[in-house]
Amino acid sequence: MIDYGLNDTQKLLVDLIKRIGEEYIKPYALEWDEKEVYNERPIKALAQADFFGIIVPKEYGGLGLGSLEMCLAVEHLSYYCAGVSTTYAASFLGAYPIIFFGNQEQKAHYLPRIAKGESLCAFALTEPQAGSDAFGIKTTAKKEGDYYVLNGVKQWITNGGIADIYVVIALTDPSKGARGASAFIVEKGDPGFTVGKKEKKLGLRTSVTTELFFNDCVIPKSRLLAKEGMGFIVALKTLDYARCGAGAQAVGIAQAAMEISLKHASSRIQFGQPVYQFQAVSHTFADMAMKIEASRSLLYSVARFIDRGAKDFSGASSMVKCFATDVAMWVTERAIQMMGGLGYMRDYPVQKYFRDAKCLQIYEGTNEIQRNVIARELLKHYK
Amino acid sequence: MIEKKHLEELGKGSLLAFGEIFNGKLHPSAIEVLTPLKELGLKLDKKVVLVCLIDNLKSFQDLEVLKKSIADEVWMVCHQELVHFKDDLYAEVLIEIVKKTSPYGLFFPATSLGCALAPRIAGKLNLGLCAHVNHLEVEDGKIVMARPTYGENIIAKLISKTTPVMATLSIGAFSPSYGEREPKFFEVAMPEEFTWASKIKVRNFKPSAKQPNRLSTAKVVVAGGRGLKSKENFKKLFELAQLLKAEVGATRPVCYEGWVEEDRMIGVSGVTVRPKVYIGFGISGALQHTVGMENSEFIVAVNTDKEAPLVKMAHLALIGDASKVLDLLIKKLKK
Amino acid sequence: MEKIILCIKGVPKPGTVKVDPVTHTLKRDSLELILNPPDRQAVEMAVRLKENYGLKVTVITMGPPNVIPLLKEVYGIGADEMVLLSDRAFAGADTLATSYVLAEAIKKMSPYSLVLMGLKSIDGETSQVPPETAALLGLPSITNVKTVLKERNNWVVLRQTEYGEEELEVEPPFVASVLPEAFDYLRPPSLKRLLEVKEKDPLVFTAKDLGLSSEKLGLNGSPTQVVDVFEKKFEAKGQVLEGEPSFLVEKLISVLEQKGLIHR
Repeated sequence: MIDYGLNDTQKLLVDLIKRIGEEYIKPYALEWDEKEVYNERPIKALAQADFFGIIVPKEYGGLGLGSLEMCLAVEHLSYYCAGVSTTYAASFLGAYPIIFFGNQEQKAHYLPRIAKGESLCAFALTEPQAGSDAFGIKTTAKKEGDYYVLNGVKQWITNGGIADIYVVIALTDPSKGARGASAFIVEKGDPGFTVGKKEKKLGLRTSVTTELFFNDCVIPKSRLLAKEGMGFIVALKTLDYARCGAGAQAVGIAQAAMEISLKHASSRIQFGQPVYQFQAVSHTFADMAMKIEASRSLLYSVARFIDRGAKDFSGASSMVKCFATDVAMWVTERAIQMMGGLGYMRDYPVQKYFRDAKCLQIYEGTNEIQRNVIARELLKHYK
Repeated sequence: MIEKKHLEELGKGSLLAFGEIFNGKLHPSAIEVLTPLKELGLKLDKKVVLVCLIDNLKSFQDLEVLKKSIADEVWMVCHQELVHFKDDLYAEVLIEIVKKTSPYGLFFPATSLGCALAPRIAGKLNLGLCAHVNHLEVEDGKIVMARPTYGENIIAKLISKTTPVMATLSIGAFSPSYGEREPKFFEVAMPEEFTWASKIKVRNFKPSAKQPNRLSTAKVVVAGGRGLKSKENFKKLFELAQLLKAEVGATRPVCYEGWVEEDRMIGVSGVTVRPKVYIGFGISGALQHTVGMENSEFIVAVNTDKEAPLVKMAHLALIGDASKVLDLLIKKLKK
Repeated sequence: MEKIILCIKGVPKPGTVKVDPVTHTLKRDSLELILNPPDRQAVEMAVRLKENYGLKVTVITMGPPNVIPLLKEVYGIGADEMVLLSDRAFAGADTLATSYVLAEAIKKMSPYSLVLMGLKSIDGETSQVPPETAALLGLPSITNVKTVLKERNNWVVLRQTEYGEEELEVEPPFVASVLPEAFDYLRPPSLKRLLEVKEKDPLVFTAKDLGLSSEKLGLNGSPTQVVDVFEKKFEAKGQVLEGEPSFLVEKLISVLEQKGLIHR
């Protein structure tokens, strides 16, 4: 309904991601969800189509594009399956720290294969006792000569086991608390690094979530990102950038839910007319459309704000994440209602959108935490 | 025992059909294509000749079948180099025969071999070639060929401006028929100067592990289309087929989707079936498909769309979700 | 560098073809062109050969300028050079007239090692163009090709037919038509290459550029002629039942019993 003024490159990107969605995802999304299996075909297609290189600088084989392009890709991918888009977007969580904080050698070593999609990435911060309270992590990294030795457990790690490159936040100096954390690159196959069982989830079921175990996991000291003590700076900046991705997922899911329920409501005849003709139904759709476009407008505005080089955008990206994911939850719930009994059946995708949307209010910082961030930023801004 | 004739001595102006032999066995299509050609032959006063290429007469296992065929003559070309199918060499042999015997028509079954050979000959001799013809007739002394075209519900009638008239004929589109009189058999002596060379060398051959399906001759066919929604649902047809002693057929889109091998495709470029009972699950009935099954004795369509062509041509149409009906049917039959 | 010639075709998107009831001709204005789906198999094979043996891929198509986006799509997937054969005189060509133009154009591209095409197009469904083009070029043709490998100077081809799988050795150059199920995964175009090809144009050849004889071109140069085209319509003739699946299945079972297929 609204022309968002995308440029030619962005339009081409959207066309291509839609093609990938139609061909590699749409016919299978319900099956993957039902069976709770990861499938590598869409990921391979995204890799061959260069989508893992969107945010990687050109000198490392990427496309050197920005947040808006990343969001467009995630949004349209989520329209087809938020599980696939979770695998995709979570890989950026692992890539951002290397792009922003990696040294020359680290970038030259890792970024070209990330750009080509040869290696998926993962980002490991959360631990059993440290969720929203991330500063409570207990995983340690002890320096021993030319090596660091990691010990601890990470929980609910997206892409655990299917990723080759993991950015892990661990305490190098537990006595310093938050200032004692550091970020490390751990590779699949490193001694002492193992992956736990796959979690069973309500939604996003084609994405893989696991525990990670570090039992005297030995890595060379060259795997340290930035400097010792900068772990949380790395983590927070990464999350600031990635938060828009969760918002983009929300917009894509909500759009899909609205479209499919709208199609149903305008063709389902009850009491001699399409149910869309009842005001309670049509007004619901009007509300859906308004809220989705509001989410999208906020998403694109903030992504463009970031791409213009904004320094401080924690509050802005929290707004996107929180608003868009709440909207997606509301829209997907209403979409089921608009489809009545059919909406509740697992033969139709709306119930999947509903289950997928729920996770978005929780991961990458719960919406309660997002509101805390926004509230904190408000005081800074309007003091 | 079989009379040997030089090319020049063979009858001219006939209707030739390619009698496909592979590893000493005659392809059933060789008998099928004779049916419409015999009709043309009677109308046009032309002999019908089956042309077979083989390495050695001794290795031919279906001589008895040929003896019962309605061909007027059978020409056998025998040479050691014909032991394997080689596109270029087989085509050259047939080109030589066409040049020397000036046939009126040259027809091939639309098998993979027929479809590989016919166009090579047409290209070399600059002849028109119609593909996957499923109906032949004579109008004003000319052969008119019909086939569905554009992949949609459109039928085209075609003629060829060149002689011999050439076409590949849809497999299963014509029923086999047998005659009283044994055809005359001739072994063709190719000219001395003919070179048996090929740029293709057959290094190895692995026969198909799975039995070729008997779709074209099946008494019961259960077929599925996009309306079954997924490959998983489609696969249940095989379960049903076992319960009903049926063969599984498919529409073109689902073959292209990879739900099932293409040799299960019913229709224009696939197989034609004429079973006693045909059940189509989630098949709307594009002409592409229906030309391949419209002569079934009893047609059942299961589809959500009341306006679908297959629903209209069905003797019994069940309006409902094909995959649900399929599930329930299997469940009840198992009891 | 060794070269592959890759021939593709733009076909109407399924469902967009309509016949004008008065003139019996195709309504072209409603047509939306897509890359012929079986050709994507040939594209995949070409790109894999390029990756494995460092061959260069030239993609060719014949048609009006509205097929250029399809050439660019194939460039996006991995072709190196695009050629469009376009001339009003080509319109209405049957397979022989098409193969004539393709063969003459391919001659201009010499030297090349192989010509790849899809097995058939979903609009014409003849599967004739690859062997016809090969015959006009005087080259061997192999249909239903599943795999192409290079062994030193030999090309080895696996062909799948109803009889089984043949392993063939063939002298280059040759023409191969690729089996529609050769690959179960077909790669999408790359965003980088699509951005790159935005500014590129294909080489365009007309009948004159290729020095073609006009009597062999298009509708007039086609030995086969369509004398009539008609749409087939169906009228409902049987029993149409609606209801719950259980009711429908009950009815179906009783019919199957009547027909002697099952016994209760």
